[in-house]
Amino acid sequence: MSVQNGINGWAGTVLRVNLTTGSVTREDTLPKYKPYIGGMGIGYKVIWDEVPLDTEPFSEEAKVVFSVGPLTGSGVPCSGRTTITLLSNWSRGKSIVDAHMGGHIAHSIKYAGYDAIIIEGKASKPVYLKIEDDKVSLEDASHVWGTGTFNTNKVLSAECGAEFDVASIGPAGENLVSMSCMITSFGNSGGAGVGGALGAKNLKAIAIRGTGAVKIADPVEHKNLCDYMIRDLVGGNNNHNVPSRPQSWAEYTSTVKNRWQGGPGVMWGAAPDGAIDTGEQPSGQIAVAAYRATKGVFDYGDVVQQYIVKSGGCASCPVRCYSEYNVDILAEYDLPTLVSNTCVPAGSGPTSFYLKDAMHDFKDEGDSKIVLGLHGAYVMDDLGLWENYNNLGREFAWCLKNGVFEKMLPKEEFDSIPWHLMEEGDPRWLDDIMGRIARKEGEISRIGEGSYFFYKAWGLDDASKNEWGVNMYDMIGGNNNVTYNGYPKHHSSEDGWQSGLLYNVMYNRDCMVHVLTNFVRSGSPFNEVIKPVLESYFGEGCVDAPKAYTPINENKVKLAKWCFLQKQWQDSATLCDWMYPMTLSSSPARKYVGDIDLDAKYMTAVTGEEWTMDDILFSAERISNMLRGITAISFKIHENMDNLRKTHDAVPAWVFDKDPDVPAFSEGTDKMDREDWEKSLTMFYEAMGWNVDTGIPTRETLEKFDLGDMADKLEELGLI
Amino acid sequence: MSEEKRGFATKEVTRRQFLKISGVSLTGLVLSTPLLTLMGCTQKQVDDGSVTTWAFPQGLLVVNKDKCTGCQRCEINCTLVNDGCVSSYISRVKVTRNLFSGRNDTGLYSDNHFVYFPDTCRQCAEPACGSACPQGAIYADDSGVKKVDPEKCIGCGACVSACPWHMPTVNPVTNKSSKCVQCGACVAGCPSGALSIISWEEVAAASQAV
Repeated sequence: MSVQNGINGWAGTVLRVNLTTGSVTREDTLPKYKPYIGGMGIGYKVIWDEVPLDTEPFSEEAKVVFSVGPLTGSGVPCSGRTTITLLSNWSRGKSIVDAHMGGHIAHSIKYAGYDAIIIEGKASKPVYLKIEDDKVSLEDASHVWGTGTFNTNKVLSAECGAEFDVASIGPAGENLVSMSCMITSFGNSGGAGVGGALGAKNLKAIAIRGTGAVKIADPVEHKNLCDYMIRDLVGGNNNHNVPSRPQSWAEYTSTVKNRWQGGPGVMWGAAPDGAIDTGEQPSGQIAVAAYRATKGVFDYGDVVQQYIVKSGGCASCPVRCYSEYNVDILAEYDLPTLVSNTCVPAGSGPTSFYLKDAMHDFKDEGDSKIVLGLHGAYVMDDLGLWENYNNLGREFAWCLKNGVFEKMLPKEEFDSIPWHLMEEGDPRWLDDIMGRIARKEGEISRIGEGSYFFYKAWGLDDASKNEWGVNMYDMIGGNNNVTYNGYPKHHSSEDGWQSGLLYNVMYNRDCMVHVLTNFVRSGSPFNEVIKPVLESYFGEGCVDAPKAYTPINENKVKLAKWCFLQKQWQDSATLCDWMYPMTLSSSPARKYVGDIDLDAKYMTAVTGEEWTMDDILFSAERISNMLRGITAISFKIHENMDNLRKTHDAVPAWVFDKDPDVPAFSEGTDKMDREDWEKSLTMFYEAMGWNVDTGIPTRETLEKFDLGDMADKLEELGLI
Repeated sequence: MSEEKRGFATKEVTRRQFLKISGVSLTGLVLSTPLLTLMGCTQKQVDDGSVTTWAFPQGLLVVNKDKCTGCQRCEINCTLVNDGCVSSYISRVKVTRNLFSGRNDTGLYSDNHFVYFPDTCRQCAEPACGSACPQGAIYADDSGVKKVDPEKCIGCGACVSACPWHMPTVNPVTNKSSKCVQCGACVAGCPSGALSIISWEEVAAASQAV
């Protein structure tokens, strides 16, 4: 029987597992963690309280926190997310980062009765953590150690029982590769180096089943809210709110290539007993919501329809942003044909490992991206490699194109690499090359240390230190670095003007904030929908037309802060950032206006307490300040840097120097202006209550959020 | 195929006739195009078992495996409506047990990764759960739906064991059997139409339209 403390929303218990001693302990969630909501907030509180920030991230002393929140598994659509908090082993400052894992395991954690699982210590031999409600044990994992995540998840699910979900690390994590992740469901990953962090603890996997329930204070109202969201608000993936092709009921057809690709004649062409037409998908109908995204068509174009079996995704989500494929061509290479993934990991990620000229059509024009991309996604997931939003691929592609490997690798190693597979566009190339990175084989595997340390190792961060005269952070073209810390932009100024760039530089990994790209690439017409709706929330001038930018203003800063806080809320709730906040609606009758207060309505219905968005965002701002304070301390400890503005938040030259013939704020460019950016930072810091010279929270701000102990530490280090 | 089966789709259909003609499934029946349209599937899907149907008192429940995307919203809505909480274990419709490493090599962790689907109560005409209940707690209401009388149920689990598909579950908190009451929440909330109910009037009309 499940452990349930009878609390609405929260499960009520935080589980702590010490791998060194084997001890399993529990504590009540709410007395300590309620001010931090759940999820990311719990993770940040645990790291802050318990892990000295000079701790080596891949070590026995480090901790990894798996967490869910009050809305996880409550029935709220798109609440199937697990946040994993740890110290980064790979980005500058080695500070706090989160991995965000989808699939179904978040629900299992909640049903088993836990809001968080704190992993500490190190097992003496490979183990996996088995949880069935209140029964918690460490089990021998020697039979799956060394094997890929697909085998591990299969074996452990089978041996634990049909209703156990599993998440595991692959060889990359076991070999302490920084660019590593864990995998659950089919291709659902949590990255940011969590594979190595768990590998350092000899923890191969978590297998979990829960027979309990998430208690809901007002189930009638709550179900009404859930149905309303799916019926009247939800569109495609990223909540893109108008279909990409004409539908009889639709007022608009997308003005850009967006993530609502389903529609009449768009087929799940590899469905086992005949193709399924995704059909008309009117707003207002629940039973068609899962057909809207049909994400593979966005990732690969219409040619992929013949390989789509069905759509998949996370627990509770009606959107289904994964396509599940049967790529029969792969059988000719003795490779698995059933594959699934989405977005960068399935497309530009794997194909970056080939020279463009080497890629060839297999059966249809343009299908190399499908065959190589999907096999590459499978290989990366099986190895438990993480692509750092494809900085890994971009770096590999650049080195490949510029002959860097030939110069930098020992001759014996270079000659041992089967380059002919790459040159022939053979999918098996990916098994070889990614395997080397995951097993830390040879000099080439240094690319798996992550951008920051890889550039340092090969002198690619300083034009005077390499024969190509390049600074990988600053160069224009083939470079997405948004800071000098080792991670790329994740929909930045190109989709969200200064506001997007502001939240992109706040984290210690790619920001994973999609609020503005969801808006800008929604497919809705700019003047009729995007501009008026966004301005109705944040005031005149908060939004710029694509590549027609204007200087910074107060409302853009207000918008940036809101987006930033939303992310901390979502990862604490937990809600999917690809969908929330519900800024837009698919409903013509609503004039496409979303419901940005919906989250508070959910919290009120689920917990039985009155929650407003102000309450939610206040808690999110507390977590945001923890992120910032912890980052400042880490930068002091590891880099002896006292000023985040000039270091952590510094933006590479290409952002300002691209499109050299066109000045910023002119038609046709999304480049930024240096002076305007400095003004943007100042205004943002002021809005956050941070010192405008250093970008570090003031004592007054920290104390407003009951973070006086963090202020004390910052003061002790001379940072405030 | 018997003459009686061949003629099924052209007759006025009632649930009783349907049960008499089809037994437990439609496999082997030639269905009319209008009926297939209503069911949102092809004859091949019926023949291959991707689509199964169950004759419920208020209509024909259609379960389409190929359309199930594994979101678990059927379980969520079942328990929200009937239990006031959200749970997989006590849900009357069950998809989670097929989703990871399910029986018959189904589920994301099986070799047939993308084969997963909801199991539903069949609302059997002669329910094994009811026959096995030592308290006589499972009864048919006025519309023929088999329900659990919570006053009589003692949570012994006899219904769980007796059901060939183990669809009921004893709720560990209430100690009562959670057996499907045909509320329709799973169907209404399915975002891919993998679950649908066609009324007997519609089934009859579609059959006559041939």
